[in-house]
Amino acid sequence: MNSPGVIAITGLGTFLGRALVARLLQHSSNLRIVGLDLRRPFRLDPLVRFHSVDLTEPTANIRVAEVLAEERAEAVVHTAFRSEPTADVEMDHELETIGSLHVMHACAAAKVKRLVVTSSTMLYGPWPDNPNFLTERHPLRGHPGSHSVANRIQVESLLAEWRARNPDTEVTVLRNCWIFGPTYWDHVARYFSRPLVPKLVGYDPLMQFVHEEDCIHALLSATLRKHPGVFNVVGRGVLPLSTVLRIAGKRILPMPPPILYRMAYYPSQGQTGDPPEGFYDYLRYLWVADGQRGWDAFGEPVYTTREAWLSFVSTRRMRRYR
Amino acid sequence: MSGPIDLDAPGGAERPDELSAELREALDGLRAEIRTRFPVREPRASFERIDWMALFQQLQRRLSTLGMSERSGEVDEFGMDEIVLRRARPLLDLLYEHYWRIELHGIDRIPESGPMLLVANRSGLLPYDGLMVSHAIWRTRPELRPRFMVADWLITLPFVQPYLARLGGVRACRENAERLIRTGEAVLVFPEGVKGATKVFRERYRLKRFGRGGVVRVALETRVPIIPIGIVGAEEAHPILFRWDSPARVMGLPFLPVTPTFPLFGPLGLLPLPTKWIIRIGEPISIDHLAPDAARDELLISRMNEELRSEVQILIDTGLSDRGSVWD
Repeated sequence: MNSPGVIAITGLGTFLGRALVARLLQHSSNLRIVGLDLRRPFRLDPLVRFHSVDLTEPTANIRVAEVLAEERAEAVVHTAFRSEPTADVEMDHELETIGSLHVMHACAAAKVKRLVVTSSTMLYGPWPDNPNFLTERHPLRGHPGSHSVANRIQVESLLAEWRARNPDTEVTVLRNCWIFGPTYWDHVARYFSRPLVPKLVGYDPLMQFVHEEDCIHALLSATLRKHPGVFNVVGRGVLPLSTVLRIAGKRILPMPPPILYRMAYYPSQGQTGDPPEGFYDYLRYLWVADGQRGWDAFGEPVYTTREAWLSFVSTRRMRRYR
Repeated sequence: MSGPIDLDAPGGAERPDELSAELREALDGLRAEIRTRFPVREPRASFERIDWMALFQQLQRRLSTLGMSERSGEVDEFGMDEIVLRRARPLLDLLYEHYWRIELHGIDRIPESGPMLLVANRSGLLPYDGLMVSHAIWRTRPELRPRFMVADWLITLPFVQPYLARLGGVRACRENAERLIRTGEAVLVFPEGVKGATKVFRERYRLKRFGRGGVVRVALETRVPIIPIGIVGAEEAHPILFRWDSPARVMGLPFLPVTPTFPLFGPLGLLPLPTKWIIRIGEPISIDHLAPDAARDELLISRMNEELRSEVQILIDTGLSDRGSVWD
């Protein structure tokens, strides 16, 4: 199958789902787009056929399979993941892991020809013994302090099993690193927009970002063309964390890791359901991914890491211009 | 339609001269124009004529970019920063010329270009040896700056880690070495690893096991020459009397060395001693005559690994016999 005629998108309300719909509508008029989400998104384009589905229900797989069969969907893009972890750890697991499992089962039942799943390079995990560039073959070690990363790792391992059982479906997994851009917003962007940014003293890892446009472009090409396999979707180049913060003109609060981890324990548990290590270790050790495979498949990214960051910084008016 | 310009055509020989004369004229005109439009300010003669406003603005600009100027916005993909390196050069030169008075032999044995693996003996707590060998090669061959590999525990050590990466240190692992070689870099490795860094004083200049032959395997797989290097002097810069293991385990370090100065004088004790260093570069070991599938021959790898080790040992022994004493 080269270009699918009917595309179903789960998680229509997420950033990537919404952006993908907009791009698909621009791209071609003889595509039929089916959207699945809990609630109808605000000002949804009337060309999109919307179905309300709750992926956390026990029989969600039957409902999704019905929708896919009724619409004769040829490709499914699964983007129904939270952009940030919540304190409701059980709900996160129900939606991300079990919800993805429902979607996979429904795809098998409806004999969907292509399944595209978004993932994250955070799944490799920040570890002191990571090589400087993690390829797609590197094991997904995650971080013990981050439940959302653990859920996503389960999704990927379930997907690998599912792919082995359903060899007729082309499966594409897109692992993107931290996304920055004018409109994207998540807990990482929130961390970087604080007036006073806490930073682990003595650590200055290399960071890697991808611009939202490049991320959406990769998702669009994976949906429309045949790219089976796992791809890292990252920008070119790396920047040290200290340079990242200085470009934004941030005031830095240097903290020794044990003190920060102790002080931030309760606020972090309340906000994300995880100890602070689950986030701050990503600012402590290296977890840069090798994007060559993705660049070969989806084309050269338009924005480098630095440009992605500058685009975020300039739209948020963070920089103090003199 | 006009064809390509024929330089051998009659009159072609004069043409460049004519052109340059014309160009010179035009440039002179431009210069005169610039001089009339932007007159050179008279040098400020007295205190009253200082432009306070400009000075203030300059100061303000300096303050707002404080901390920005000593680093570049871009680093290379392994985190090396050209500007930090340029700033550190006087200090590295000082260490090289006056502190350790390094003698470099056999620099012409290093290939003209292309990726290569440099193999040296490891010693001392902090990777001064890697920094110095890399600097020594860079001083004589400005186009070549070997990236030195650093053990895991050191490259993630707080406060040390950012500086090591900016100065060209890379975490020692196979993926990194292969990637650097594929991009055409020279890579300096220390196959002894942590065992080399923790050698006690009485074991100095006796090489430990060269890992599991990873260096040879990478060289065979990527088809690059191996160049042995013997460093003499670095092993006395941090004379480790004995290793004190139980407090090290409490602190999460792989080992705690006891030197004549180290735990005694605190962090100051980490300063290396000003010993005399000799860096000796050996003949490159070519692997061109071996078959491409030699990387799977474990016995060949271990034999080559042992040969490489004895090669480095010979370089060290030659350096030791050439040296008068530890200090000169």
